[in-house]
Amino acid sequence: MPYHEFEVSKVIPERKQHAVMKGAGEDLTSCLPLGYLNTIPGSISERGCAYCGAKHVIGTPMKDVIHISHGPVGCTYDTWQTKRYISDNDNFQLKYTFATDVKEKHIVFGAEKLLKQNIVEAFKAFPDTKRMTIYQTCATALIGDDIDAIAQEVMEEMPGTDIFVCNSPGFAGPSQSGGHHKINIAWINQKVGTLEPEITSDYVINYVGEYNIQGDQEVMTDYFKRMGIQVLSTFTGNGSYDDLRGMHRAHLNVLECARSAEYICDELRERYGIPRLDIDGFGFKPLADSLRKIGLFFGIEERAEAIIQEEIARWQPELDWYKERLRGKKVCLWPGGSKLWHWAHAIQEEMGVKVVSVYTKFGHQGDMEKGVSRCGEGALAIDDPNELEGLEALDMLKPDVIFTGKRPGEMAKKVNVPYLNAHAYHNGPYKGFEGWVRFARDIYNAIHSPIHKLSLIDISKDEIDAGKGFQTRRMISDEGLPEEIRKSTELREYTGKYDSVSALREKTYPEFPRAEAGTEAVAE
Amino acid sequence: MTCEIKEKDRVGTINPIFTCQPAGAQFVSIGVKDCIGLVHGGQGCVMFVRLIFSQHYKESFELASSSLHEDGAVFGACGRVEEGVDVLLARYPDVKVIPIITTCSTEVIGDDVDGVIRKLNDGLLKEKYADREVHLIAIHTPSFVGSMISGYDVAVRDFVKYFATPTEPNGKINLITGWVNPGDVKALKHLLKEMDVDATVLFEIESFDSPLMPDGNAISHGGTTIDDLRSTANAFGTIALNRYEGAKAAEWLQEEYKIPAVIGPTPIGIRNTDSFLQNLKKMTGKPIPPSLVRERAVALDALTDVTHMFLAEKKVAIYGNPDLVIGLAEFCIDLEMKPVLLLLGDDNVRYKNDPRLLAMKENVDWDMEVVTNADFWDLEDRIKNKGLELDLILGHSKGRFVAIDNNIPMVRVGFPTYDRAGMYRYPVVGYEGATWLAEQMANALFTDMEYKKNKEWILNVW
Amino acid sequence: MANHKIKNMAERKYQKVYTSNPVADADPLTKERIAVLEHYIMKNCLWQFNSRGWDRRKQNAGILGKTAQLLCGEPVDVSVPLEKCYWVDAVMLERAYRKLCPWLADLSKDDIKALMQLLNARMDWLTIDGSLNQELTVVNY
Repeated sequence: MPYHEFEVSKVIPERKQHAVMKGAGEDLTSCLPLGYLNTIPGSISERGCAYCGAKHVIGTPMKDVIHISHGPVGCTYDTWQTKRYISDNDNFQLKYTFATDVKEKHIVFGAEKLLKQNIVEAFKAFPDTKRMTIYQTCATALIGDDIDAIAQEVMEEMPGTDIFVCNSPGFAGPSQSGGHHKINIAWINQKVGTLEPEITSDYVINYVGEYNIQGDQEVMTDYFKRMGIQVLSTFTGNGSYDDLRGMHRAHLNVLECARSAEYICDELRERYGIPRLDIDGFGFKPLADSLRKIGLFFGIEERAEAIIQEEIARWQPELDWYKERLRGKKVCLWPGGSKLWHWAHAIQEEMGVKVVSVYTKFGHQGDMEKGVSRCGEGALAIDDPNELEGLEALDMLKPDVIFTGKRPGEMAKKVNVPYLNAHAYHNGPYKGFEGWVRFARDIYNAIHSPIHKLSLIDISKDEIDAGKGFQTRRMISDEGLPEEIRKSTELREYTGKYDSVSALREKTYPEFPRAEAGTEAVAE
Repeated sequence: MTCEIKEKDRVGTINPIFTCQPAGAQFVSIGVKDCIGLVHGGQGCVMFVRLIFSQHYKESFELASSSLHEDGAVFGACGRVEEGVDVLLARYPDVKVIPIITTCSTEVIGDDVDGVIRKLNDGLLKEKYADREVHLIAIHTPSFVGSMISGYDVAVRDFVKYFATPTEPNGKINLITGWVNPGDVKALKHLLKEMDVDATVLFEIESFDSPLMPDGNAISHGGTTIDDLRSTANAFGTIALNRYEGAKAAEWLQEEYKIPAVIGPTPIGIRNTDSFLQNLKKMTGKPIPPSLVRERAVALDALTDVTHMFLAEKKVAIYGNPDLVIGLAEFCIDLEMKPVLLLLGDDNVRYKNDPRLLAMKENVDWDMEVVTNADFWDLEDRIKNKGLELDLILGHSKGRFVAIDNNIPMVRVGFPTYDRAGMYRYPVVGYEGATWLAEQMANALFTDMEYKKNKEWILNVW
Repeated sequence: MANHKIKNMAERKYQKVYTSNPVADADPLTKERIAVLEHYIMKNCLWQFNSRGWDRRKQNAGILGKTAQLLCGEPVDVSVPLEKCYWVDAVMLERAYRKLCPWLADLSKDDIKALMQLLNARMDWLTIDGSLNQELTVVNY
C-alpha cells in the first residue's frame, strides 16, 4: 500500500493510513486512504460539525424558509454569511437567520417553551413566509428538548404553516458529513410525499446535490429549461420548500454532489423507483455528456445536442485561450468533498494543468475512490488533512495554485501559493460552459498575477529590473508560448460579463408541446 | 425627548450581533505567543471561529479542537482533552500554553476540565514532557452564558490569573486593550511612546497585520509572552480601556496584588483620548508632551472641516461590542451628530447602570433608544416598520444587508469587518482614530449624496 | 413512510464473488484491452461508485450488460425507468468505446460478450470485492 507518511505526523501513527501517493500500476484495491473516521483531537483538522453539515450546507440554501437553530446564539451566527449560495428571491436565506437564543436558565429548566415562543415570533416577523426548518444543536440535543413535538403543536395551532425538524447536533458524526446524512433522511421521512406538485412537462427531474453557489443552479436550470425539462425541485440551492415536498413525482433524479445528497437519491430510488443519474456540471465534456444522458433518458437527445453545439461554439475558443496558458501548472485540489472528483480529471484534460494533490475535509472513502481514480500517477491524496500536513505538502509539492477554503487559502497565501475558493468560488459561477471558462480565467488571473510574482522577490538579494514600471499578465503567461498561439485569432480571452447569472432570471423559454395531455412519456 | 435603556422585547434572535463565549476566549488565545487554544466541544465551535478570524484579518490562526463526537457526548469526553493536549505538544514543539476552552456541549455533559488538567499535570506532562515548559489553563466559556464579549473578558482574566507572579516592580503599566484591531494597538503604542510610558500591552496583536515574505511566513501569531503575563503582577497600575472586555483582569490584579486599576474610558474620540492620556499621566507622573498637543490639534483641524458642515444632526444607529458602541456614540455626540439607536448584542445586566449610558439618558435632547440583548431585527424592524429615519449606520459587516436594503450609508467598524478591505489596519482609538472615523463617516455620506443625487453639487466648492 | 418498501437485508449483506483480480490470468492482449475499457470508466464515469456494494453490483451488471448488448447490436430492455437509466449510461459508454477502440469492430459478438463479462468482473473486483472501501457493506444509505 503506497501510504504517505508525513514527517509532522510521525508522532500520530494512525495518520499514516490517511494519505496515499498513487504509484505506477496502483489501483483502488491497493491505493485508498482511510476516511470518515473520528478526528484526532488536537490535530488541527479542518473539519466542521454535523450541525453545520445539516443546517449550513444543505438546509439553508432553501430560499423561502425561516431557518431557526435551537440553541445558544453562536451556532447561528457562525453559519450566517459565510457562503455564497444565492437565490432568485433576493437572497432571503442569506440575509436572515434565526436563533432561539438558549441561555443558562433554559439549559437548567428546558427550552421547549422558548422554542415555541421563537417559532411564533419568527412567523410574526415574516408573515409572508409560512415555511420553517428547525435545527437542533449540541446544547438542545443534550438537554433533550422534543423539537418534533413542539413543531407538531405549532403546525396544529397555526394552520397554513409547515415546519421541518432536523435533529443533527454538532457532535453527530466525525464531520459535517454526518449532518448531510441526517438531513437527507429526515427530509425524505418527514416531507417528501406531503404535497402533490403540478406537473407541467413530460420530462420531470429533481436536481439534487446542487447548492446554487454563485448561481450554478440557475445556469444548469437554464439548460434544462431550454430542453423543455421541468425541474420539479432542487435539493437545495435556490430550492423551494414546497417543491421539495413533491420530489416523489419526478421521473429522474439528477445528482450532482453525491457526497452530500446521494442518500436522498438512493432512498427515492428505493421507495419510489426513481432512478439516480450522477452527473458532472463542471467541464465541457463531462457537462456535455451529462446533458446528453438526460436527453437520452427522455428521448430528447437532439435538444441537448443543440445546446451543446451552441455553447461549445461560443466558449471553446475562450477555454482554449486559457488552456494554452495554464499547461503544466501544478494544482493542489483541496476542497471539502465532491469537487475533488468533479474537477480532478476535467481540469487536467480541459485546462492542461496537473493535479499534484487532492484532499477531502469531510469526504468518505467513496469520494477518495473517485478522486484517486481521476487523478494521475504521483498525486498525493489526503483524508482529513491538518494544518501541519497541509504546510508540509505545499512545501514538498510547490504547486502553482491551490483550490481550497477561505481560511486554508490564507495559509497558502503565506507560503506564496495563490488560492482560489473551491467552496464559494472567486468570480463564479463555475458550472456550465461559460462558468468553466470563468474558472479557467480565475486560475489564470491567480497564477499569472504580477503581484504574486513581486511577492517572490527578495529586494535585499535579488536583481531588480529598475527600468520596468509594470508587467501585464500576458507578459508573464505568454513567455515561451509559440508564436502561433500568442498571435492566434481563433483563441480569445473571456468575453462574458461580471454577472453572468441575473439575466437568466428574465429569460423566456420555448414551449414544447406535451406528448398527450395527461399521459407521461416515461412509464411509471 | 427621551433616552431609554431597555431589553429587546422578543425572546428569540433574528440575525445575531454577537457570537458566543468560546469565540471570545479563542480571540484571547491567538494573542498569546507559543499558545494554541484547545476548544473542548464540537468541531464547528473552532472551524467557524477560525473562519471568521480569517475573514476579518485575512490571516489564518491556529486553534485546535477536541473534536467531540457522539460517543464523547454520551460517555464524557475528558479523554479527548488528554489526547488533544498530547497531540498538540508532540507536533508543535514551540507550544508552551494550551488554554482549554469549554463550550456549551462539554459544560452540559459536565466534563471536569479542571480535573483533567490536574491529571495531565501529574501524569502526561511529568512523564512525557518533563523538560518542557507547559501551561494548561482551564477557561470555562459555556455558550449559553454571556456572549463573545464576556468570553473575552473571562479569558483575559483567566490568563492573567494563571500567570501573574509578583516579584520585583517592573516599572511598567498594564494596558488591557479589549477586543481591538492591529491598527488600534499600533495607535495605542504610539501614544504610550509619546508619553514615554513603558507598558505591557495585552494583547499584543499588532503582528496580526503580518507580511507576505519572499521566503514564506506561514502563520500569524500574537506577541504577548508568558513573561509579559507573569509580570502583570509587578506593574504599578493597570488601565483596562474597556469596561466589558478586560476589566475583570484589571479588577482581579487590584484585589489580589493591589495593583491600582483604572477602567476606561475607551479612548474613542478626542475627549476620551484626552481622558486616557490624563489617566496615564496620573498613573505614571509623566507629562503630556507637546507632540501630542500638536497631534490632537491636527485631528481637531480635520474634524472641524467636517463637523458642523456635514456631520451635524445626522442620525446614526450603532451596534457591536458595548464599549465600542458607547465610545462611538460619545464621539458622535461631540461631532454634533445624533445617535438615535444603540444596539448591544447580549444580556449583560450591567449595561443599564453603565455611567456613560446613564449620562446620555440624563442629557440627550433627542429621542434615543439603547437596546440590550439586541439583534439586527431591532434595527431593521424599526427602519422598515416603525418609521426610524437614519442617515448613517456604524457597525460590523454582519449588519451589511440592513444598510444595503434600506439605502443607508454605513461605516464598517468593529469585528468582524470582512466586506471592506483592510479595516483591521486602521485605528478607531486615539486622535488618529478620531480623524479616521470622522472622515470615514463624512466620505460615506458624500458617496451616498452622489449615488442618490442628494445635493451632491454641494461638494463642488468644499 | 407509506411507500417505503421493506429493505432486502440479505441482499445488502452481500457475498463476495471474486477473491482475486479476475483479469490476472488473462492473456496480454485481453489485459491491455480491459485496461483501456476500465481506464475510460474510471476517468469519466460515476455510476460505478454508488455508495454501497450491493448497489455497485447492480450498477456494474446493469450498465456493462447493456453496453455489451449495444455493442453487439442486440435489443436492450428499457421497460422501466431504472433499466432505462442503466441504458443511458450504457449508450454513452458504447459510443465512447466505439471511438476509443476501433478493434471492437473486428470482434465477434461472442468475443465482445466475453470481453465485457471480464470487464464486469474486473469492475466488480475493483469497486466491490477487492475494494478497500470499508463503507460498502453498511446496510443502510
